[in-house]
Amino acid sequence: MPWADPMPLPLTVSGLMVQTRGGRQLLSVPELLLPAGALLGVRGPSGAGKSTFLHSLSGLLEAQGSVRWGETELIGLPSERRTMFRAQNMGLIFQDFLLFDELSPQANAGLASLFTRRAARPMVARRAADRLSHLGVPQGSRTVASFSGGERQRVAIARALATDPAILMADEPTASLDRTAADRFIDDLIALVRESCKTLIAVSHDLHLLERLDRVLTIEDGVLTDDSGART
Amino acid sequence: MRDLWDGLPLIAQGLLTTAALLLPIVLIATVLLRGFHPWPLVRALLWRYRWANLMFVLLIAISSGMGIGLIAQERGLRVGTASAAEKFDLVVTAPGSELTMMLAAVYLQPSDVPLLDSAAYDRIAGHERVEIAAPIAFGDSFSGAPVVGTITDFVTYLSDGRIEGRLFQSTREAVIGAVVPLSIGDDFTPAHGEGDSAEHDAHHGFEIEIVGRMARTGSPWDRAILIPVETVWEVHGLANGHLPEEGDRIGPPFDPTHFPGTPAVIVRATELWANYALRSEFTVTGESMAFFPGTVLANLYRVMGDVRQAMSIMSIVTQVLVAASVLMGLYILTRLFQRQLSMLRALGAPRRFVISVVWGYGVGLLVSGTVLGLGVGFAAAALLSRVVTERTDILVSATIGWTEVTLALGFLSVTSLLSLIPALVVLTRSIVENLHK
Repeated sequence: MPWADPMPLPLTVSGLMVQTRGGRQLLSVPELLLPAGALLGVRGPSGAGKSTFLHSLSGLLEAQGSVRWGETELIGLPSERRTMFRAQNMGLIFQDFLLFDELSPQANAGLASLFTRRAARPMVARRAADRLSHLGVPQGSRTVASFSGGERQRVAIARALATDPAILMADEPTASLDRTAADRFIDDLIALVRESCKTLIAVSHDLHLLERLDRVLTIEDGVLTDDSGART
Repeated sequence: MRDLWDGLPLIAQGLLTTAALLLPIVLIATVLLRGFHPWPLVRALLWRYRWANLMFVLLIAISSGMGIGLIAQERGLRVGTASAAEKFDLVVTAPGSELTMMLAAVYLQPSDVPLLDSAAYDRIAGHERVEIAAPIAFGDSFSGAPVVGTITDFVTYLSDGRIEGRLFQSTREAVIGAVVPLSIGDDFTPAHGEGDSAEHDAHHGFEIEIVGRMARTGSPWDRAILIPVETVWEVHGLANGHLPEEGDRIGPPFDPTHFPGTPAVIVRATELWANYALRSEFTVTGESMAFFPGTVLANLYRVMGDVRQAMSIMSIVTQVLVAASVLMGLYILTRLFQRQLSMLRALGAPRRFVISVVWGYGVGLLVSGTVLGLGVGFAAAALLSRVVTERTDILVSATIGWTEVTLALGFLSVTSLLSLIPALVVLTRSIVENLHK
């Protein structure tokens, strides 16, 4: 699995649809264009389809239509190729961090080094350590079990960025943090993404985060509209 | 091919079997782990569910250990009983059950047996191919130790001449077995009979001094007190095998008119091959019966062989049940950490990596349990050996051999293969659904 410098990957979505097995529509995105390096926020009530949108764009869900990242058409790729695409191009941040409590922050942030090819392991580990250092996360032999929510989410950012992906996806990244920790997280995230010209798609209710992004879309009942209220 | 295999040394056969049993694990590991480094996550999972994991390891260890221990013990018992009968080439008794006679004469198990008369004894003792014809007389005891009457040649032969002190030289002297809790110089009065029914004052006033102690023989004779056969006859009010004018003389030859009879005669032939002819000659219908204890044991082992087979099958059935429990347990445990596994998939970990984590975790438990099981088996065999030795005085030293190692590795190999199932099941679940659990 090569870990080349990230290529800027614009997003082109057309006719994206996700349905339940019973045929109920969960998400419909007729069209969406996002230039590489853009920061996109997605908001909407609970159950509106925000996470489904994020999962469709990352290839975690089976969907219909087209999700094209650069030259890669994600829908239609076999599951393992989509996984490989994520490994090479995407970093994911989850609401409740999903860290291994038994591991140190370095081991958690460098998780991808465990399944990357041997030659790339030191690079991933080094980048993970650099990100942790940049984010002010205490490093050492201590495990993350005793870390605060803010510290844990910073470890999660470092993990998402350890492979230097072109795209960062965040699903309610501040939902488990208090206001102070959330604000610090937002500062760190925006700074890192801006510095490294990455594309960010963040699903969130947090206005502090959404107001820092280039563009915010709203999902209601699985339908995406832009800030003007028009369908995308 | 069969000849080639049979021609290999035992250790080479064992090593090849071990390699063949480990091969599936090595192959799976090679395929799954190539290019990956799942061990930090395996260690994390082992630590996270440490108490549940410990229970699994103990379950595997105890079940496989008990099976291994019992099989090792059965083999140890066979070797021990055979070794204890080693000095008893040929036994001649009055006609009856060979097994009962062997248990009485070789293993000193109390039993009422008919006596051989003087004519039978003379025919045995006077045979040109007989080197030792030792009459055995039993039925008395002291503090639970059987008191056995015999001759000095047999004591020397039984102990290979390794005697502390000296042999008995008169009817009031005795040589004790290695574990008899008496000392040289002590006196004792034998009780009539053995066990709870022993009459302690039946031979009142008949003091016998201990003058020697045999080295350990690994047989029930280590617990016995050996006295001149004449003493046994005398304390029971019988003629002592010699003419009255011979006084306190002990040992052969015995006078036929004063020979009161003996339950058994232990025979050592001048040449090993002569034993077969002697057995034939000394087996006289209605008068005497000659048998090889080794043959009686072999027949007994044949019956025990079926028991052994039954034990092996029971052990395998137990292992299969444990394997099923372990796999079920692994399946349940993988459900506990499927969120983390789905997170790995979301981050871009290939399926093979996730399988390697789950399989590595399962095999970690199985290897730990199996290795511990071999230890438990060794300890169980040692403990059982000690108990059996203490109760029977047959030196049983059961050890873990290739059979037990093969059984343990067979279990490990099959369950390692089967633990791919929970690993594969994990991947059938939706990543997104798991992430939201």
